[in-house]
Amino acid sequence: MEEYYLSCEDSLEGVFTGIYDAYLKKKPHEQIHICVGEEENYRLFAVYETCLPDAKKTASVARTIVREFGQEAYLSICRALASREMDKGEAVYKAVVAGFAMKNKKELMGNLSNPYIHRVFEMARFTANEAHYHVEFLRFKELENGILYAVIGPKNNVLTFIVPHFADRLPLENFVIHDEKRDIYAVHPAKKDWYLVCGDEETGRPERRCSDGERKYSELFSCFFHTIAIKERESYGLQRNMLPIRYREYMTEFQENEKYKK
Amino acid sequence: MENGLTVRKKEEMSIMEKLRILSDAAKYDVSCSSSGVGRRGDGTGIGNTLAAGICHSFGADGRCISLLKILFTNECIYDCKYCINRKSNDVPRASFTPDEICELTIQFYRRNYIEGLFLSSGILYSPTYTMELIYEAVYKLRTLHRFQGYIHVKAIPGADPELVRQMGLLADRMSVNLELPTAEGLKQLAPNKHRRNILWPMRQIQQGITQNKNEIMVYKHAPSFVPAGQSTQMIVGATPESDYQIMTVAENLYKKFDLKRVYYSAFVSVNVDKSLPALPEGPPLLREHRLYQADWLLRFYGFEAGELLSEKKPNFNVLLDPKADWALRHLEQFPVEINRADYRIILRVPGIGVKSAQRIVRARRNGNLGFDDLKKIGVVLKRALYFITCNGRMMYPTKLEENYIARNLIDRKEKLPFDRDGMTYRQLSLFDDAACQW
Repeated sequence: MEEYYLSCEDSLEGVFTGIYDAYLKKKPHEQIHICVGEEENYRLFAVYETCLPDAKKTASVARTIVREFGQEAYLSICRALASREMDKGEAVYKAVVAGFAMKNKKELMGNLSNPYIHRVFEMARFTANEAHYHVEFLRFKELENGILYAVIGPKNNVLTFIVPHFADRLPLENFVIHDEKRDIYAVHPAKKDWYLVCGDEETGRPERRCSDGERKYSELFSCFFHTIAIKERESYGLQRNMLPIRYREYMTEFQENEKYKK
Repeated sequence: MENGLTVRKKEEMSIMEKLRILSDAAKYDVSCSSSGVGRRGDGTGIGNTLAAGICHSFGADGRCISLLKILFTNECIYDCKYCINRKSNDVPRASFTPDEICELTIQFYRRNYIEGLFLSSGILYSPTYTMELIYEAVYKLRTLHRFQGYIHVKAIPGADPELVRQMGLLADRMSVNLELPTAEGLKQLAPNKHRRNILWPMRQIQQGITQNKNEIMVYKHAPSFVPAGQSTQMIVGATPESDYQIMTVAENLYKKFDLKRVYYSAFVSVNVDKSLPALPEGPPLLREHRLYQADWLLRFYGFEAGELLSEKKPNFNVLLDPKADWALRHLEQFPVEINRADYRIILRVPGIGVKSAQRIVRARRNGNLGFDDLKKIGVVLKRALYFITCNGRMMYPTKLEENYIARNLIDRKEKLPFDRDGMTYRQLSLFDDAACQW
């Protein structure tokens, strides 16, 4: 039995194009697999093909998913594809296949006893939770020129999920959110729509100087952060559960806390 | 009351000093939630709100920091025995100006430090005078700075009702502190406060909310009154009430006053006073935890206070959470069949939360569920296995016997179980994917 492996680009477009091509093959779905990014271990007797992302095919697959499975499933799939896990392409593809066999297709994400759908659910939940953490813990610094600037280092690609929230919240501000792991920037000019920019490796990371007010307010907040805790109830374990340590390097109140500790 | 000396001293005080004093004085207020109202920004100012609320940080005590929680002033004409700011205490006093509050709120907000403002106050001169000061600050924030984030304001008992009404049109949430669960306790520890005066503004806000809902039905753009509802808090462990009394009070507040939340605050001994209990082991945190667990059972799991406790059994089991405790006393209702039982019955199984129960009901439409599926769905099988069957079978052959199950359910590590079974300070954390709007 011949097995096909479609290797796709690590993006929504990549995987959706892969799904389109997989259906084009008109072979049983068990024989087709989608892998994302570079394959490390090639299998014997398997055919490897590379899919190049294609806007038309992507749009077509996206339309089908929304039409057949509804908005909820589409959103879950988008979140799953922002995951860092490498089996996301295969999981989404097989979940879509499983969905077409269901009686009520709109219930796709409810069918958790299917292993592929459950995998999509898991990855989507991880991305959504991490996005929520970033909405909570992201910190802006005001630069000399008045721009608000934030750095994040998420495990999954959550940037596009969190920017709309800040764009709605701070419509009159110029702000930039920088994902330093993937080197992408979300730029929001005041009163305008936001957009994504990919980082330029050559320019490197220029030193960004903060405004005068920045120091004052970050100190005020650090002070508030320390006085608001009740000493009799101290519980660092609980704090760690609620606020995982990996977020703290980006957070103002943990950067300059030595001075304000009681 | 203020002589020239203190006035001059206040002017010299830096904003940092004020923030230190007035946030330190506000920290015993429990409520910090920014939930209950979803509102998009209108594009002309700053801010929006999210129905689920957002925590922005967690302090050294693990409590969430969502709002800039400060007092307007910690000067107070009252002498409540449990309060750090009481008249007879010699502590540094400070007051903000409305402009300082606006500046702090806006500057913190745009850096994503906070979700909004929580403004309370000691009583300066009179309740109405204090309420006017608070109103001025919030009015400036809402109109001059066009701040559309979350604002939680204390309604001060005894203030002019018209002022409370006006305040409600600007604030998202209002709260009146019940302070102590019973009128006797209040009389004993807060001689200047009266139960009637506390319940009165609570009723006023409740009626305002109901009336406003009717107005909005007719006029779509009628200004909303306290859209995120009202909450209250009571101190636990300062007076000798039983858990049963406290839960009954809470249930009444939910049913008769339509409160959104009742907060329980383990008594922290900050003053030395002969009418206060000595707490050598620290604040009664485990008791507070059990009360919150039971509170969740009332609000999300369809339990009633009378089912959990009674006159004969007035306090919660220290070793078991209230839900497991209830289940053990009602073994005749178990085991339940996961693939068939009603949603409300499934909710009552220890180890199954709201989210898992919803997922079970949804997933079983597509076929029978086994124990593996339950595990994936998020059910804590370690706890649930004594109470459920899948397709007529239990997971292991176990005895349905109270002592046997109790022994297995008791977690020896559970000393202060803040991080267990979804019961934490985090807002709505029992929904592990509450973040689904992203």
